[in-house]
Amino acid sequence: MFLKGKLALVTGSGRGIGRAIALKLASKGADIVVNFFRHREAAEKTAKDIEALGVRAEVIRANVGDPAKIDELFETIANKFGHLDILVNNAASGVGRPVMEIDVKAWEWTMDINARAALLCSQRAAKLMDGRGGKIINITSLGSPFVLPNYAIVGISKAALEALTRYLAIELAPQGICVNAVAASAVETEALKFYFKEGLMKDHRQITPAGRMVTPEDVANVVAFLCSEDAFMIRGQTIVVDGGTSVGIFTLGQKEER
Amino acid sequence: MNIEEQIREIVARITRVDKSLITRESTFKDIKADSLDIVQALVAVEETFGIEIPDEDAQKFRNFGDFVSYVEERVAQKEKV
Repeated sequence: MFLKGKLALVTGSGRGIGRAIALKLASKGADIVVNFFRHREAAEKTAKDIEALGVRAEVIRANVGDPAKIDELFETIANKFGHLDILVNNAASGVGRPVMEIDVKAWEWTMDINARAALLCSQRAAKLMDGRGGKIINITSLGSPFVLPNYAIVGISKAALEALTRYLAIELAPQGICVNAVAASAVETEALKFYFKEGLMKDHRQITPAGRMVTPEDVANVVAFLCSEDAFMIRGQTIVVDGGTSVGIFTLGQKEER
Repeated sequence: MNIEEQIREIVARITRVDKSLITRESTFKDIKADSLDIVQALVAVEETFGIEIPDEDAQKFRNFGDFVSYVEERVAQKEKV
């Protein structure tokens, strides 16, 4: 229960990876602010499951793509709790298109939610962490260092998020705030089912050396570790959770030939 | 302008479809709205009328008419409170 008495905000935590992170941090004793935008029922279910773990859950709706809504979100947290210990920038959106089909609307929508929101939330969170230290964890993906089909715009936004992670890590270090990122490959979530259905992504099981898909819990476990004091000297890093897929890329198809 | 007209204006602006082409029977597919258009239209309508339209509800809209009826109902409920 190393997070007992701590308060964590997990953006986009109604479903998928965000939900798993929220539950994991709650299981370590943290009170959780469950932020959602489009799926209230899911967020309320997450909050109920968090409360069942014996900690407090506060559900706050906010489109983090809208700076005014981010202000409202942090005002609510400041008024209700007066502080924050952990921020997980997890909320993400995007449009599955090849690079030549990205228009201004899709670019702005994706960048605003995936990159700008992390900047604005981190700035506000750092103020609520002032004098007590804290952890900021950004959730990114392998679409930044690698090319995934129809993923350009999200991949580009994640590259910005990873660069932001490094700048924040250095500039917030004097305040005792540890900043890192966790990058997952394809994770078994509702969002991924959408990608499969639309034919935007193929089954990753065959190309994962660890032999199974990455689950939201796999990502959540690493986030929890980065929120622990054991990870104190890890700063500005992007930790990859992909079952070996990315480093094993040149061994694909080699098995049969051996 | 009534609720239906206001929603038609919003959807037309976001999808860049002439509003005369948006009827109560039009589906999002008919007006070539992609998933981003749909979510942006939902958000704009929410802000215009001060209501919340969760995706769980929005997924049930078969056409523009369903969307309008839902918003009319929610606005009426809000005014009652």
